[in-house]
Amino acid sequence: MSPVVGKPVNRVDGPDKVTGTGRYCGEIVLPGLAYGLIVGAAVANGRVVSIDETAARAAGGVFGIMTHRNTPKVANQPRLIPSLAGQPAPGESFFPMQDDVVHYWGQPVALVVADSEEAAAHAAALLDITYEPGVPVATIADGRASATQAKTLFGGLMPATDERGDVEGALAAAEVTVDATYHFAANHHNPLETSVTTAQWDGDRVTLWDSTMGVRASQLTVASLLGIPLSDVRVITHFVGGGFGSKAMVWPHVTLAAMAARHVGRPVRLALTRPQSFTSNGHREEQEQRITLGAGRDGRLTAIRHRKLSVTSPFDDWAEPATGVSTQIYGCDNYLGDHQLIHGNTMTPTFTRAPGESLGSFTLETAMDRLAYELGMDPIELRIMNHPPVDNHGNPWSSDGMADCLRRGADLFGWAGRDPTPGTRQEGNDLIGTGVAGAGYPVAFMMPVQHARARIFHDGSVVIQTSAQEFGIGVTTSMSQVGADGLGVDMDVLRFEAGDTDLPNTTSAVGSMGATMQSSAVHNAATTLRNDLIAHAVNDGKSPLHGLSPSSVKVADGRMTSTLDPSIGESYADLLQRNRLLDMEALGSWTPPGMDTPHGLLTFGAQFAEVAVDKDLGLVRVRRMTGVFAPGRVLNPKLARSQLLGGMLWGLGQALLEGNQIDRQSGRWALNNLGEYLVPVHADIPDIQVDFVEVEDDVVGPLGVKGVGEVGQVGAAAAIANAVFHATGRRMNELPMTAEVVMNGGGPG
Amino acid sequence: MAINQSTAPAETGLRGPRGEPVTLDVNGATYAIELEPRVSLLDALRDHLDMTGTKKGCDQGTCGACTVWMDGRRVLSCLTLAYSCEGHQIATIEGIAQDGELHPMQQAFIDHDAFQCGYCTPGQIMSAIALLREGNATTDADIAEHMSGNICRCQAYPNIHAAIREVRDADDGG
Amino acid sequence: MEFLQPADWAEALAVKAAHPDALPIAGGTDVMVDLNFDRARPGALLDLTRVTDLTDWGTDGDWLRVGAGVTYRRLIDELAGRVPGLALASRTVGSPQIRNRGTVGGNLGSASPAGDAHPALLAAGALVELASVRGTRRVPVTEYFTGPKRSVRTPDELIAAFLVPARPGAEQFAKVGTRNAMVIAVCSFALSLDAATRTVGTGIGSAGPTPLRATEAEAFLAAELPWETRGAVPESVAARFGELVGSAARPIDDVRGSADYRRHALAVLARRALAWAWTDPGGAV
Repeated sequence: MSPVVGKPVNRVDGPDKVTGTGRYCGEIVLPGLAYGLIVGAAVANGRVVSIDETAARAAGGVFGIMTHRNTPKVANQPRLIPSLAGQPAPGESFFPMQDDVVHYWGQPVALVVADSEEAAAHAAALLDITYEPGVPVATIADGRASATQAKTLFGGLMPATDERGDVEGALAAAEVTVDATYHFAANHHNPLETSVTTAQWDGDRVTLWDSTMGVRASQLTVASLLGIPLSDVRVITHFVGGGFGSKAMVWPHVTLAAMAARHVGRPVRLALTRPQSFTSNGHREEQEQRITLGAGRDGRLTAIRHRKLSVTSPFDDWAEPATGVSTQIYGCDNYLGDHQLIHGNTMTPTFTRAPGESLGSFTLETAMDRLAYELGMDPIELRIMNHPPVDNHGNPWSSDGMADCLRRGADLFGWAGRDPTPGTRQEGNDLIGTGVAGAGYPVAFMMPVQHARARIFHDGSVVIQTSAQEFGIGVTTSMSQVGADGLGVDMDVLRFEAGDTDLPNTTSAVGSMGATMQSSAVHNAATTLRNDLIAHAVNDGKSPLHGLSPSSVKVADGRMTSTLDPSIGESYADLLQRNRLLDMEALGSWTPPGMDTPHGLLTFGAQFAEVAVDKDLGLVRVRRMTGVFAPGRVLNPKLARSQLLGGMLWGLGQALLEGNQIDRQSGRWALNNLGEYLVPVHADIPDIQVDFVEVEDDVVGPLGVKGVGEVGQVGAAAAIANAVFHATGRRMNELPMTAEVVMNGGGPG
Repeated sequence: MAINQSTAPAETGLRGPRGEPVTLDVNGATYAIELEPRVSLLDALRDHLDMTGTKKGCDQGTCGACTVWMDGRRVLSCLTLAYSCEGHQIATIEGIAQDGELHPMQQAFIDHDAFQCGYCTPGQIMSAIALLREGNATTDADIAEHMSGNICRCQAYPNIHAAIREVRDADDGG
Repeated sequence: MEFLQPADWAEALAVKAAHPDALPIAGGTDVMVDLNFDRARPGALLDLTRVTDLTDWGTDGDWLRVGAGVTYRRLIDELAGRVPGLALASRTVGSPQIRNRGTVGGNLGSASPAGDAHPALLAAGALVELASVRGTRRVPVTEYFTGPKRSVRTPDELIAAFLVPARPGAEQFAKVGTRNAMVIAVCSFALSLDAATRTVGTGIGSAGPTPLRATEAEAFLAAELPWETRGAVPESVAARFGELVGSAARPIDDVRGSADYRRHALAVLARRALAWAWTDPGGAV
């Protein structure tokens, strides 16, 4: 039996998904189940003056109505910490329905529980709520004057400023400079399954089926807000209909579901409606970024100044960190990155796929393209020349691959011989252009110790367990592969169980760290159990392997054999049965290296795109995309390709389609449905190609796995924008690049 | 003239506002349930028949996750009143595999990794099989255009196209 | 909420007369969204899916009469040769799932300025047939729309059918949408060139409070087209036609696009539609 890690194995949960039998968290059937519906504030700033429940209560089928008047007070004030850190992870430092103040449009002001979805919707519509409205400030346009310099981001976990050298001096002295300012519309995650929680109390214990990216984060948060022991909160999550960051933090509805179930004395399902998914689980914030590059005529970067201005909530200093890549992917002695914030009437923004890096890289990589034109250099060579062997602290990369990704991508895409002159290729009404961008995404070791358990029964069947759930990234499959190889059994005898806080702890699969964390813990659990079994055999007088050194025993297909004489051996099952052991199990742990590990930690990649731009209408069609990435060990190339490809197409959506704005008068999101907030559909998809550069990495865990969940998106929009410039000669200073932006936007590069 | 085969009152068709008996034919079986007039086919399937393979993604007709077949044609169950389904044959993802054997399209979706989270997948498969039946899958552009009512936020689109091509070509060859 | 399910057309009209607040529903593709979110709660729903009279089409003198319950899919599959512009527009309506249920009757019922069918009906010079227990009337579609989501239909009336000339001209439809499918139009334009009468029909969508005709553009083009010689349309004529179409629009700035862009794009669509229609070998020009 050959190893299965690295093989393109089909998803083990595929049959559940293609037959519709997998149960998502809004599909749990419980006796007496009631349906909850949140009523969001219809003003963005102000106060609830009155809520008349008379008509709603008379409508029939209503079990209960919660408002600020009867909602229990939370036991601990929520404090925003990223869920990766393994602490309570509320999405904002605020819990609604504690008083009558409204901070943002859609903030929960009431919760109706009824005997059907229809009855809940009707009663919610009949609630008569009056407000004393204030004037909302929720946009950069309205809040610019009040912007302040942030000190730290993410609840104090990250500095908001990154400075070295003398950037102003270096810019003044630079032979060539590029200066560009960009405006980016807000993005919404829009997983196809909106967030949903089903809550059931049994005495003092509550069980939550929660569509989360981290069952542990939900458990920690709900226990903290309700003030009950962790042992009384169990979170079960077997299928999640997409997350993309919206389910990384724990939003108020999760705890409200538990409160509502207690309030009405029956299990409650609380799902966000599609419109509510625009107002209730965070978003990628509206932002402005300005970058100034200084370089020598030879192309060497001498200065980078990268600043971001964005809108956050009244409660939190939240900003996607825009400068994490620009500070290190290209070497530069003089650097300033900082974040300015407007505290406005929005909820706290949150992680949205490739948070920070997708737009931070857009800014950097389109600026690098401008610089290449300024210098008359090939943009690939400019990037390779400036990519350093060490990070911004002088630490060597744990593994690199950037230059190889650019070169392999250039080959696959057919970059050679490209005429850089903009606006010279036309087919019918279309102008054709190509573009490139570099990509990097951080490996962030802020999580606590990770655990997994491996257990083998005396018939040779195996269960591997860890708490963090599947949500589409394929962990059920790739961890089955890792467990099978670690233990030395066939995948068919192994079942991977996850998505339950009763299982050994792993942290939320966020920040592209899911595969790294889980594979490290699972690998250690499986190899520990294997070593225990081998030790048992060589010490067992009745084993044919008795007396051998453990290092001279190998395992394949559940059978231990001597490396010296393959005819000598026995199966795990034989060993267990002879010794009257019904099972054996081992706990595996993995302690992450920590944020201060003396290594540069990025996953690298390169992106290429070809576009056709309707010269009269400005409509952009992406015709081809090529992405090459170096994510360390690839556990399953089929699944990794899918994730990277998904990221690249998210980049396409971000480039051309996805954007929302808050209406300045009402403070309400202008778009709140998938008919108007446009995400890519089948017809938008180009020919797309994904490839890997294999790099070995012995820093990021025992298997050398870096993430693939987000780096695929980084640089994709920049490659498209650079291609639009190549096609049209116009620089795009706005995302999304709608037809109108392409017709009117930017200017000569 | 339309024939009302249901057990529901057929006279002038005046029903409601409270729950009334409805007979639905789903995957070849007949179900008698009590529904209010405003209940969509989607909610009837999920909340009243416990057939949760048909997914609710938007309830607004914009995502395709709730795609089922009505008399063999794909429709959005969120935009279809359950009452109006009486006398029609409804097919859902639960009826696609026969005797435990996956439909070739289901197997092709697995083989081509044509999904990630799986939430849009039942709708994609119901659309994909219908697409081949409609005969609109000759070119890649045809497939893309005629699958565009089914959003996949994981962006498995290229893999979905590959799965559809494989089943189409196997059908042609067979 | 009551549910009314008439078995035939006479009963439908009687029910509508008795329940003028009843909301007609056929394909459901417009109505259901409001129901699902409890934004609309009519006293009654009037389900027309059993009224088979509404799903017929046939000729009526010089007209083709198409029942209000004929789905977009059937317009594409069965009537593409008879209503070519409308069939082109129908292909851009929503998705195949929507087109299997949605109807032009429903589009006319909701009277949205963004309805994809409307420009094609305007260009073709269609009539809308409205019926009630009081009788039946045929209203030119140019007079049908009175404002955003408003029409001349009275509360007791139902939309029975639309009618278009039985012999269509060369028709085209073009739409600017931000994505390549499943999209509400930023703006849309329909054109009909009738060589027999030497007339031009136009329709503009998503660029005004109602769907609009570009009457000045129609008159200009009808006078300038080389109907006799069938020669190429002079650049200057095409450009002027585009300008007149753009200036006939009454767009506003909204989330899908600015008024300026819409006028510009309509001019482009008009020039392109003209080029396609004039050289269309299948057209009856």
